[in-house]
Amino acid sequence: MTNAMELYQMLPKTNCKKCGKTSCMAFAVSLMSRELTPEDCPPLKEESKYRESYEKICELFKPSEGATETGLIVHEDLCFGCGNCVVACPPNVANDPYGVGSGKAPTNVNRLVLTVEDGVVKAQNLGECRRFGKNKILCYGCIVTCPVEAIEFV
Amino acid sequence: MEKNYYVCTGCGLLCDDIEVESEKNIINKVYTACRVGVAHMKNAKGETNFLVDNKPVDEATAVREAASILKNAKNPLIFGLGTSTDETQKLAIELAKKTNATLDDTSSFCLGPLVEALLQDKLKTCTLEDVRNKADVIIFWGADPSDSHPRHLSKHSYFPRGSEKQKGWEEERTAIAIDVRKSHTAKICGNYFFQIPPGGDTEFIDALIAALSGKLPKTSYKYPPKKILELANILKGAKFGVIFAGLGLIYSLEDLEPVFRLMKVLNEKANFHLVPMVGHYNMRGFNENLFAETGYVNRVKFEDGIVKHGPEYSVVESLKAKTVDAALIIGSDPLSSLPRSVSKNLLEIPVISIDPCETLTSKHAKIYINTAVSGVEAGGSATRMDGTKVSFKPVVETVHPSDEAILKKIMEAV
Amino acid sequence: MDFGSFLAAPEIKIKIVTYRDIFQDKAMIENRFGEEYRDRSAILKLDPADFKQLNIKKGDTVILKNSFGKIVVKAEESGYEIPHRGIAYMPNSPWSNMLVSDETGGTGVPKFKDISATVTSAKGEKVTELRF
Repeated sequence: MTNAMELYQMLPKTNCKKCGKTSCMAFAVSLMSRELTPEDCPPLKEESKYRESYEKICELFKPSEGATETGLIVHEDLCFGCGNCVVACPPNVANDPYGVGSGKAPTNVNRLVLTVEDGVVKAQNLGECRRFGKNKILCYGCIVTCPVEAIEFV
Repeated sequence: MEKNYYVCTGCGLLCDDIEVESEKNIINKVYTACRVGVAHMKNAKGETNFLVDNKPVDEATAVREAASILKNAKNPLIFGLGTSTDETQKLAIELAKKTNATLDDTSSFCLGPLVEALLQDKLKTCTLEDVRNKADVIIFWGADPSDSHPRHLSKHSYFPRGSEKQKGWEEERTAIAIDVRKSHTAKICGNYFFQIPPGGDTEFIDALIAALSGKLPKTSYKYPPKKILELANILKGAKFGVIFAGLGLIYSLEDLEPVFRLMKVLNEKANFHLVPMVGHYNMRGFNENLFAETGYVNRVKFEDGIVKHGPEYSVVESLKAKTVDAALIIGSDPLSSLPRSVSKNLLEIPVISIDPCETLTSKHAKIYINTAVSGVEAGGSATRMDGTKVSFKPVVETVHPSDEAILKKIMEAV
Repeated sequence: MDFGSFLAAPEIKIKIVTYRDIFQDKAMIENRFGEEYRDRSAILKLDPADFKQLNIKKGDTVILKNSFGKIVVKAEESGYEIPHRGIAYMPNSPWSNMLVSDETGGTGVPKFKDISATVTSAKGEKVTELRF
């Protein structure tokens, strides 16, 4: 799992402000919330001495990447695929009201945050999650509906 | 693109929206099903086995030997069938008639009495679609669907949007758990979990009836009257209430009379339905098929064209009293699921086990026939826990014969 | 008979309530003779106070005994907030069924969820194997 502090350790730590943020720490926080992407830091992207860090950070924020890197953790050993979170997740309901929003199989997988695969919940498309992005809010939809505390935000 | 959905026969919910990726008749990936459903659908097995005295034989021999056991028995027991299709169950009923057998299924010691009451119109019931579309007060009583029917709350009873429930579960539904322990379902119900002592259900029902009638609710275990009054108030306000009744409730009652009383009062004050939390995927189907044929849901004995019925024809009592002299067991493992003090008597009679997996019962059977997994490797129709008919096709092909095919052959050979 | 060994291991009377567990069901479907199914079935969930009285640690085995059978299972703390001394929980399984009474009063319905038994420390004895 990654947090803003760990990200910060991999950044240039020069506070050059080229990304538009006041400090590298602020950039790390923006990365975490998916407001900015690794490419938004020019030194990180361009200077060879940061290549390793850059690749590592890009890997963490690949669009298709699992959720753990963005703070949403699924404890797969606890989850038993009841799908409560899938059906209760507000963006899921908004993006697929007659599929998962109505308790049924997903019909709009590309815009769903949570689906169940092989009996375990899978997080994706975190840009849709209400906890990420510019207008993020502290949504607890998936957490309070889970009978086994299999979902956690860190 | 039209999606190809399969039905999961892992439990009485019969979820009909399962997507599967398979290659060469092996299921690699299952979407939307719960963990138990996935295990059920991926349930890999070995070669076809026909065993007589634990030695491999061909199908014809196994069928012939099975038929001979049934023919030679005076009172064979036919038992199981909760995980068989309607088609197989109807064949088993015919076979029971032909062999003068005692016929029973697992509902005999599960929710049979409740299903019987529903089929006799003694209780108001509804479908799971009704629950999704309309229910505002949902009670899980002695039931923990999170563990027994994992998608119950997400697909039907609590979280989904329905035609008359568009604002979501937080605003429009109240889920209540009444149980002897804080189950996973009780946890989700939060403040609406009412923990009662084991065996305390009848008293709780009486207290609740008192509260519904504006009297002071009293229990010998001193349940806080205020909490029962609060519960009664929620129930009184229900526009579409439903009680999901589980084994915890049924095992705690002497008979169903307290349930009838509660439902009567609830329907005087509000609008309440009852749905049994049927476990096996087609246990309710067995009850309905036998009911259509005989007027009884289980525990029958056929004798030269007449049907006898009563607890003495239950699997438990007939094994206990040793009144049966052979057993044909289809898709069930009584050596595991019955009290050993009762099931041990099976070891004294010839047993034919027809089952897609090896079980304690199959290991101790005289004849074992390894059949296709019903609903995964063989298709047919079944009845969901709420009485809705569901048809399904096999997900993959198999070399294993279906239990339907085997019963047909045994029938011809008897 | 060596009564000393009985005195050394405290014995308590309990009522066992059985229940269903999804991971146990899953393990049964995958292999009912496998280790996972046994590990998730042959367990007894006790109140912490009963645990203390039995003088056992988490994961120790205990002997459950009544007139219908005797089994050895692993003891665990239930984790329930409300104390439940004298009541223990166990997933419904062939193990719990070894203790279920054949007394049904002629109803055909055994008391699967209402088992009376005694518990003592099994002093390291292994969990009962699934067989007849």
